[in-house]
Amino acid sequence: MKAAPFEHHEPTSVDEAVSLLESLDGPTVLSGGQSLVPMLRFRLANPDVVVDINGIEELGYLREEDGFLKLGALARHADVEGSELIAEKYGSFADAAPLVADPQIRNRGTVVGSVAQADPKGDWGSLLIAHDGEVVARGPDGERVIPADEFFLLPYDTALDEDELITEVRVPTPSDREGSAYHKLKRKTGDYAMAGVGVRLRFDDDGVIEAAGIGMTAVDITNARASDAEDHLEGERPTPDLFEAAGESAAEESHPESDEHGDAAYKERMVKVLTQRALGDAAERAGVVKQRRVSR
Amino acid sequence: MSETREITLTVNGTDHTIDVEPRKLLVHAIREDLDMTGTHIGCDTGNCGACTVLVDGEPLKSCLMFTAQADGSEVMTVEGMEDLPESDGDLHPLQEGFHEEHGLQCGYCTPGMIMSGKALLDENPDPSEEEIREAISGNLCRCTGYQNIVKSIEYAAEKLAAQPAADGGRIIAEELADAQTDGGADAGGGGEFTGYDIDDGEFTCGAENCCGGPTTDADHTGGGDT
Ligand SMILES: Cc1cc2nc3c(=O)[nH]c(=O)nc-3n(C[C@H](O)[C@H](O)[C@H](O)COP(=O)(O)OP(=O)(O)OC[C@H]3O[C@@H](n4cnc5c(N)ncnc54)[C@H](O)[C@@H]3O)c2cc1C
Ligand code: FES
Ligand code: FES
Repeated sequence: MKAAPFEHHEPTSVDEAVSLLESLDGPTVLSGGQSLVPMLRFRLANPDVVVDINGIEELGYLREEDGFLKLGALARHADVEGSELIAEKYGSFADAAPLVADPQIRNRGTVVGSVAQADPKGDWGSLLIAHDGEVVARGPDGERVIPADEFFLLPYDTALDEDELITEVRVPTPSDREGSAYHKLKRKTGDYAMAGVGVRLRFDDDGVIEAAGIGMTAVDITNARASDAEDHLEGERPTPDLFEAAGESAAEESHPESDEHGDAAYKERMVKVLTQRALGDAAERAGVVKQRRVSR
Repeated sequence: MSETREITLTVNGTDHTIDVEPRKLLVHAIREDLDMTGTHIGCDTGNCGACTVLVDGEPLKSCLMFTAQADGSEVMTVEGMEDLPESDGDLHPLQEGFHEEHGLQCGYCTPGMIMSGKALLDENPDPSEEEIREAISGNLCRCTGYQNIVKSIEYAAEKLAAQPAADGGRIIAEELADAQTDGGADAGGGGEFTGYDIDDGEFTCGAENCCGGPTTDADHTGGGDT
């Protein structure tokens, strides 16, 4: 099916985009289009006006700055996948990037677009949560920073206003004793997650877990935080038993639905396993434990 | 029908200026306006990869992009494969590979597979089986089974490696250097083949035996919508 007719605007600066969003009636932002184009074709979205941000060069960045890893709105999945900075310091992002969709979609789709899409099966939202990340939006009243925990409201529904543009998402840069990981269960390459878990662990100088972040994919109505599991971890030393208990706790906090890919009990069990594995990887990457692969 | 806009696409080295509605997908422009039906549409959802083309060298799903977004871009479709220098005026090693290794049955997925294979070999001339499987993971085949498709791409990699021109290539580089001195093709920075050039409506890819291209610029300017 073809999309309904729309007016196509192509701003070349953030200022121009923001003033278009303010002045036009019912605008929709078009980024990588890898979610929006199918929605337009199925007429699940019928905007009269589309504001295409692909020409805004200033949004195409992935860099560390002011204590954050910042991904501009035009950082594509493939940019994360190919980044040396990510490979060196951001284990969870390096894990997730090649697991998002397939090569063609990764060349075009953006991390920010995926966060804006707020699909509970989207991978990046879980990492924003695990890393205590933030969404930076620009609207008629200027800039607004929205913590990940306040951003995802319902499936496909976020705290963003219609006249706001997300300019970047960002997560704090890791300390020397920090590690992160993402594990995803899918039926085949290129699929959305049946379940996914992103974790981040920060240790103090004595090897005690100082801060833990866990975000879950596809097992709740939005990307969701496993806060009981985080509480389990903080103040403790990393051991297989601890990670197993945290996994169990995350499974209890998840609310997966049964579907053709698996029933809810199976997915809960997978949340436990994925959490344990991701914690093992994160602790190893933090340089704190050598022995990983806790009991399965 | 909403307003149309004039855009220019360079497809397989030939410039095409066409009028498109903003809602027109790139795949529809390629198939319907430019009459190049090698690029297929297999799904409505971005899943199957039959519509894969290269846009500025990158494999993309042309059903997930509006034509206007490709304004000014270089697009390559399966029809362009035979015109590449390494094809020597015949089937490209990838196409030959699918033939030799039985990499297709109905052939529906094949153009997309070939474009994903091309993108892979451009970046990585000697891929492992795993890398090939990853590169075609956005392309679905409902009949062949992937084994022979992997073999077809391996065949092409081997054949290209055996050609002196394949790996950035002395022969092509020399030809391009010659062509450049007489004002023909653009050899780009590293003497690598970087695309076609159209000079005074004359199409030349820079190869000594250039076939003159599928069509010339003049054949298509403004004529896409007919
Ligand atoms: C076959 C297939 C498989 C996929 N598999 C996965 C997967 O495994 N994991 C995964 O996470 N995703 C997957 N995706 C989705 C993919 O990651 C998309 O790229 C992503 O969801 C949307 O990003 P985009 O840049 O393409 O955004 P678009 O499609 O352009 O936009 C999506 C939505 O976000 C809004 N938006 C985009 N950018 C902004 C902005 N800067 N400010 C405000 N609003 C904005 C748009 O208005 C729209 O509502 C898949 C998609 C397909 C087609
Ligand atoms: S037609 Fe484009 S992915 Fe199927
Ligand atoms: S050969 Fe029939 S779909 Fe691949």
